[in-house]
Amino acid sequence: MFFFFVLFLLVPVVGTFWWSTRSGGLLGATTSVGLKNYTTFPQQVDALTAVKNTLDFALLSVPLTLVLGVLLALLMVKVGRGGGVYRFLIYFPTLVPGIVAGLIWLFLTNPDFGLFNNILHAVGAKPVVWLGSNSALRTLAAVDVWRNAGYWAIFFVAALIGLPQELYQAAALDGAGPLARFWHLTLPMLRRILLFALVVSTIFGLQVFDTALIMTAGGPGYATTTIVYRVWQYVFAYPDEIGLAAAMSSLLVAAILVLTLVQLRALRSRRGLD
Amino acid sequence: MATVKQVEPRPAARGGAAGTNLPREARRAHRRRRLGSTGRHAALAFATLVFVVPFYYVILASVKNSNQIFSYPPKLLPFPVYLGNFKELLGQTQFLRWMLNTLIVAGSVAAIKVLIDSMAGYALAKLQITGKRIIFILMLILLMVPLSALIVPLWSLIRMLGLLDTYWALILPALANPLGVFLMRQFILGLPSDLMNAARLDGMSEFSIYWRIVLPLIKPGLVVLAVIIFTDQYVSFIWPLIATTSNNMELLTVGVANLHARGGVNFGLWSASAVMSLVPIAIVFFALQRQFMSRSLTGALKQ
Repeated sequence: MFFFFVLFLLVPVVGTFWWSTRSGGLLGATTSVGLKNYTTFPQQVDALTAVKNTLDFALLSVPLTLVLGVLLALLMVKVGRGGGVYRFLIYFPTLVPGIVAGLIWLFLTNPDFGLFNNILHAVGAKPVVWLGSNSALRTLAAVDVWRNAGYWAIFFVAALIGLPQELYQAAALDGAGPLARFWHLTLPMLRRILLFALVVSTIFGLQVFDTALIMTAGGPGYATTTIVYRVWQYVFAYPDEIGLAAAMSSLLVAAILVLTLVQLRALRSRRGLD
Repeated sequence: MATVKQVEPRPAARGGAAGTNLPREARRAHRRRRLGSTGRHAALAFATLVFVVPFYYVILASVKNSNQIFSYPPKLLPFPVYLGNFKELLGQTQFLRWMLNTLIVAGSVAAIKVLIDSMAGYALAKLQITGKRIIFILMLILLMVPLSALIVPLWSLIRMLGLLDTYWALILPALANPLGVFLMRQFILGLPSDLMNAARLDGMSEFSIYWRIVLPLIKPGLVVLAVIIFTDQYVSFIWPLIATTSNNMELLTVGVANLHARGGVNFGLWSASAVMSLVPIAIVFFALQRQFMSRSLTGALKQ
C-alpha cells in the first residue's frame, strides 16, 4: 500500500510541480523554463477563463447542494415508515457516473423534445435554451446538485441522529419553535460537520469535467471550459503546452491542499477543546 | 386521557389555568403533529419524484423509436416497447465488452485495495514502525488529491512503465488512494490490543495475527470499503479516458462518452446506453443498500 501510495500519488504530486517548470510536448523533448509558465499565466486568456468558470461553477453548485442536502436530511430524519424508499431513490443519483448523468440531462434539456421545455410548453411558457452560453454553466451546476445532494443528505441524517435529544426537549419546553430550534441548536451543533461537507464538496466541485465534456464539450465557445477540461486539452490537443497544463494542475493541487489543511486545522482545534 | 397526556406533556408544564383546557390543547397539538408528518411525507415524496423523473424520462426515450422521441406531446407511458435501441447497443457496439472491462477493473481494484488497505491500516494502528507518523501525516495531506489533477505526470509514468492501454494502467494508479487506509486504521484501533498481544505471546506471526484475528473482526468494515472503492471506480472517467486508446480496452464511461462523441446524433442509442450503464450498479446497490449508505458516513468516521 505504502509503495503504491508513494509511486502513484506522492511522486505524481511532486511531478506535477516539476512538469510545471518545463515547456514542450507530451512526447517530445522538454526544456526547463523556470517559473515562466506561472508568470505568463495571467496573459493566458483561455486558462484564466477556465479558472473563472470552475470557480463560478463551484460557487453555484456547492451551496445549493449543501442547502438541499440539509433540507432533505431534516425531512428524512423525522420520517419513520417508508423512509427507506425515499433514501434509496434520493441516494441513487450519487451512484450515476458523470458521463451518464450528463447523457440523462441531455434528454431533459434538449430544446426540442427535452422534459423541461415540454413542461414549459404545457404551461404555456416560452421554451428556454438550457445549454446556451449564459445558461450552460448553471445547467451543469444543476446536474451536480442532482447528483450530489443525496450523498450529503444521508451524511447529514447520520449527523442529526447523533445530536443530543435532551437539548431539543428543553428548548421546546422553553417555547422555542421549530425554526428557532434549527437556527440556534441544530446549525451551531452541526458547524464542524458543515465545514467538512463544504470543504469536501468544494474539492469535488473544482474537478468538474465529465458533465462539461458530454453535455457541452466546453462550450458554447468557452462557456463551460473548466480547469480539468483545459488541462486535458493542453495535454492531448496542443503539441507543446505540457508545461502550462502542469502549471494549471498544480494550481488545482495547491487549492486542494490548502482546503485539506483548513479542514485538518479545524479538526485539530476541536480536539484541543475536547 | 392519560395516553394523550403522555404524548404531549407540554401544556401541563405551563401550569396555572392551563390545567383546565389541557385535553383540547393536547389534542390540537397531536393533530398538528399528525399534519406535520403528512406534510413531511408529501414534501419528501415530491423531492423524491424530482430526483427520479430524469431516470424515468431517459428510460422512456430508450424504448421509443427516433420518430416517437421527437414527437409532441410526448407519450408518458413506455408502451408499446420498442427494443431497437437496445438491440443496436448490444449488437453493433462494444458495449458489453466495456461493461466487462469496468467490472474487471472495479472488481480487481476493490479486492486488492481491501487487502492492502487493511494491512496498512493494521500496521498504522497497532505496530511500532519507524516513520509511522510521517507516513500518516503525508497520507492525510494528500488524501483529497484526485487523479484528475495529476494526469500529466501519471500519464508519463505509466507510459514509461510501458503499461498504457492495459488493465494495469487502470488498476495500479487507483491503488494509491489513502482513504481506505484511514478507514481500516479507525476500525482496527477499536479492537483490543490485548487480543493481539496474547496471540503474539503464543508465538503467532504478525501476518497470521492480521489474517486470522484482525481480518475476521473487521469484516463489516471490509464490505463497506469494497463498496466505496467499487463505486469510485465505476464512475471514474478522466483517467480511464486518457489511459486507454483501443476501443476494446475502454471502460463503460469512456465507451459511452465516445458513443456520444463519434457516432453521429442518435438519441435512441444514447438513451439505451445510459439506461444499460446503470443496471449493474443498481443491482449492487439494491443488494447492499446499507453498505452504500455508509459511503456517506465515511466522512464522519474520519473525524
